[in-house]
Amino acid sequence: MAENKIKRAKFGSLQPDVEDVIAWSELTAADFAPATSAEKDSFIQDRPSTSYWKDAWRRFRKNKVAMVALVVLVLVALFAFVGPMVVPYSYDQFISGAENLHPWHYTLEDQQRVAEELAARTGAAAADPETAVEQAIAEAEAKGETLSSVDIARIRASAKVAAESGSEGEATEAAVRKDLGIRAHIGGYSNAELQRKAAGENVFPHLFGTDRYGRDIMVRVMIGTRVSMLVGLCAALLVLIIGALYGSISGYFGGKVDAVMQRIVEVIYSVPEVLVILLLSTVLGDALLEYANTHTGFIANMIPVLGKNLISMFLAFGLLYWVTMSRIIRGQILQLKQQEYVTAARALGASGARIIRKHLLPNCIGQIVVTTCLQIPSAIFLESFLSFLGVGVTTPMTSLGSMASEALEGLWSYPYRLLFPAIILSVMILAFNLVGDGLRDALDPKLKK
Amino acid sequence: MAKYIVKRILMALFTVFVVASLTFVLMKAVPGNPFLSEKEPPQSVIDALNEKYGLDQPLYVQYAKYMGGLLKGDLGVSVKMQKDYPVIKIITTMFPVSASIGLFAILWAVLVGVPLGCISAYYRGRAADSGLRVVCTVGISMPSFVVASLLLFIFCGGIASLKIFPTIFQMGNWKSYVLPCFSLGFYPMCYIARQSRAAMLDSLNQEYIKTARAKGLKTGKIIFKHALRNALIPVLTYLGPQVAFTLCGGFVVETVFTVPGLGRYFVQSINNRDYPVIMGTTIFLASFIIVMNLIVDLLYKIVDPRIDLGKESA
Amino acid sequence: MAEQTTQRTDGAKDHKLLEVKDLRVSFFTPAGEVKAVGGITYEVDYDEVMGIVGESGSGKSVEAYSIIGLLQSPGKVVGGSITFEGEDVLSFSKQQMTDFRGNKVAMIFQNPMTCLNPVYTIGNQLIEALRAHDKSISKEDAAKRAMEMLELVGINNVEKRMKQYPHEFSGGMRQRVMIAMGLICHPKLLIADEPTTALDVTIQAQILELMKELQKKTHMGIIFITHNLGVVAEICDKVCVMYAGRMVEQGPVDDIFYRPGHPYTMGLLRSMPRVDAESHERLIPIEGTPVDMLDPPEGCPFAPRCEHAMKICLQKMPPYVELGEGHRSACWLRVQERLEQEQREGESHE
Repeated sequence: MAENKIKRAKFGSLQPDVEDVIAWSELTAADFAPATSAEKDSFIQDRPSTSYWKDAWRRFRKNKVAMVALVVLVLVALFAFVGPMVVPYSYDQFISGAENLHPWHYTLEDQQRVAEELAARTGAAAADPETAVEQAIAEAEAKGETLSSVDIARIRASAKVAAESGSEGEATEAAVRKDLGIRAHIGGYSNAELQRKAAGENVFPHLFGTDRYGRDIMVRVMIGTRVSMLVGLCAALLVLIIGALYGSISGYFGGKVDAVMQRIVEVIYSVPEVLVILLLSTVLGDALLEYANTHTGFIANMIPVLGKNLISMFLAFGLLYWVTMSRIIRGQILQLKQQEYVTAARALGASGARIIRKHLLPNCIGQIVVTTCLQIPSAIFLESFLSFLGVGVTTPMTSLGSMASEALEGLWSYPYRLLFPAIILSVMILAFNLVGDGLRDALDPKLKK
Repeated sequence: MAKYIVKRILMALFTVFVVASLTFVLMKAVPGNPFLSEKEPPQSVIDALNEKYGLDQPLYVQYAKYMGGLLKGDLGVSVKMQKDYPVIKIITTMFPVSASIGLFAILWAVLVGVPLGCISAYYRGRAADSGLRVVCTVGISMPSFVVASLLLFIFCGGIASLKIFPTIFQMGNWKSYVLPCFSLGFYPMCYIARQSRAAMLDSLNQEYIKTARAKGLKTGKIIFKHALRNALIPVLTYLGPQVAFTLCGGFVVETVFTVPGLGRYFVQSINNRDYPVIMGTTIFLASFIIVMNLIVDLLYKIVDPRIDLGKESA
Repeated sequence: MAEQTTQRTDGAKDHKLLEVKDLRVSFFTPAGEVKAVGGITYEVDYDEVMGIVGESGSGKSVEAYSIIGLLQSPGKVVGGSITFEGEDVLSFSKQQMTDFRGNKVAMIFQNPMTCLNPVYTIGNQLIEALRAHDKSISKEDAAKRAMEMLELVGINNVEKRMKQYPHEFSGGMRQRVMIAMGLICHPKLLIADEPTTALDVTIQAQILELMKELQKKTHMGIIFITHNLGVVAEICDKVCVMYAGRMVEQGPVDDIFYRPGHPYTMGLLRSMPRVDAESHERLIPIEGTPVDMLDPPEGCPFAPRCEHAMKICLQKMPPYVELGEGHRSACWLRVQERLEQEQREGESHE
């Protein structure tokens, strides 16, 4: 059909006019041969289907904020779990002579220079009043005079005034340092430690300073972070287990079982949790201690190990905090129960447990993961809150909350005692929140706003 | 409607009853005698005290008496901090201080949080939205004691040039209220802003917004009339728990700023193990929170016309 | 804006009510450009009902949204023109568009359950629609007009109904309210986006009846978007069949039903239940799934699902072939027929 071979095609528009096609294009009979099914199949390249988790991970990786938060979280975890192995101090070690250290130090030579300069500026007047009096008496005796008690009192008073003006040592010392151009160096060292260091010994600095008992703040912050993280994880797990069980049973069986279970949930829901937890931690703590003292056996032995307040805190979590989780899961299950594939599975004779395990749980796993993940920061929040009030983690164990509360006493002179735990705590909660948000966006695209 | 309200009130009363019973049970779980100090006094003194506080009677009688006392507003007396001083009197003198700070905190949280959330939703994806989201996410990641102590340090003398507010709380001096109210309201503000952003976005995606646009309404009217009203309804539900949360944040903030309120007193009573004060305050605050939740709940049902109160069963 | 009347003005007669030429709409997603509508041409005149048929995702709603300026980002009109009574709609300013929407063109949506704002009364929402375009009308007059409109769409007890909230209405009643709201400004064109899909079959028939009746009274043009050919047969004068963002066939309703020119249209007709069918006749579904719009193929998008697919179908987009008065179809089969016919004619000439 050579007649049909006309000029080259000009497909400018997507859907050209038929006259143009006939007039301009070259169409051969072969073009009108039926296409094989293989040709049809190759026509559309299906994008490779990705699994749910792969897809979620891809979405999560794309989320820069969440990835940064994840990295921060890993760093915080390293800090909390590996850090204490690196630092040669322990959280409950009182380092004598290293009390109230700042996170910075001046070298011994600098200290010497400052002291000399200071002495030169203020003179002997800065000396102790009693030595001043003794000196005056000695001088008078050398001259063969005796000082009246009034004179002695006058000397003592003036020496005292001089000493007191000298006791604004911080200010004058700072001024002297400024004049001499002496700079602080990173890391706190006590003078004893500086001497050891000068002797060639390897002394680990107190990077965050020390508290008033001479405990290294950095190691305490590490341990506190570790406690917070563990409490958060364990509490979230506890909430997950109880909530998921309760919610799926209630949602799956429905009817009367559901009605009764939901009434219970309603009551627990309207109980103000924080108050009850405070109460539980206070009262239960004492009761547990009594139990540990009067009984023996596994449980009694575990109490001092874990700390009475931690136990009561977990108890409170187990009693009260799973409610939201169970509601979410119940809602999901109720919704999924209507879906046809569950009806199909039931019609095929699958057992209740099998349906929950094989069909229902995989379908609400995304939401479960997200809720669990967001439970961690709220648990950390609560732990630090309780510790701050003094009913959380107790001595000798430490926690970020209790450290912040201890730091309040010396806030004006040692603000970094508050700053370090506060920053780590906030950064940790922030990172958990961001990772949780990222997970939500990645696992449940429907929820994304 | 009336049926529903009655049902909710009964439910709230039941919850108060549960909390009260729980406190009673816990009080009994305290080893030894909660009314006594650490040191063991002579047996005769114990007997006398037991008789005085009615501890020699069987448990159920004690329980009935305790519950009866609650009904009359009798929460017992302090045994340590202000010996033999009625707990109810402590509460009535200290609660107003806490309540005024809490009220201002919630007010600023709502009045700033809701508009911020709406602005954020309206400028979704742009710089204003990103900035506000960062602030709010950081805000809900900082425990109130961190915010409060940092503010205390910065504005009360830690940095000399920024010393604007007094270090020690003074009743009646407005400057003393600024920082406690700010730090107490900061978390709820961020939380409310996040929630209203989500609610507003949700509302803006609804079909009735499409209808409003198809009707030819102006953007302002679409946002303020159609989207906002619907977005505010879910925000109201978060307000109930937020009231409770703010109250508990009050424990910390009052401690940091040495506010002579009920929150600080409660914390002190915990540290001093003054059990009657702890119990009484817990029951009082719990009832307060339950009542607040009840009010918010009823308000919610009234504001949203979709909910038919007569037929509501769940 | 000119005062609206139920009669069309004489000046408007010079122009068709709505002309859409080679309209292209794309969505710019992070994954790439999705050509949701790729070159659509049709016109609607007064008193005419134009049906747009296609499966979900075929771009029929997107195309309607672009007429009324409701396209949300990342959607964008990238080519073609929309002319309404001689005016270029795409060049309208924001203000002009706001005046245009609801006033000259109204739209009603698929789901009457979610399209009314749940927190305002029906009366409030009706009056608001009226007063958005006519500031001078008093509240009392507006309420009166609203009640007239409600009566017109067959709602009884209007005084009480005006004060009720959407949730107090049934689905069919709500769609009536939506229609009343759309028509309250006497628009010249009504776009109905699957207005009956969410309703019971009996209610569907009532709504269709109502729309036909109202059209007789107002002489407006209607664009009726649906995936239900049964509905099309009942109400439409013209039909435009869409597949994967392209118009595959267009023509008078009888031509489409009795002389379909595109295998997709044929497939749609075969999958439609019919009362007059023999009892043993089975409904035949169209096999396969629609193409990936992110990466559209070179040839005819329907080719992989088409039982008549030829080699050329997979390579080139088919042109439109005129099959009758206003009846066009984009299929290589028709091109082939045309060529064969020409060849025969040529042979007979020789």
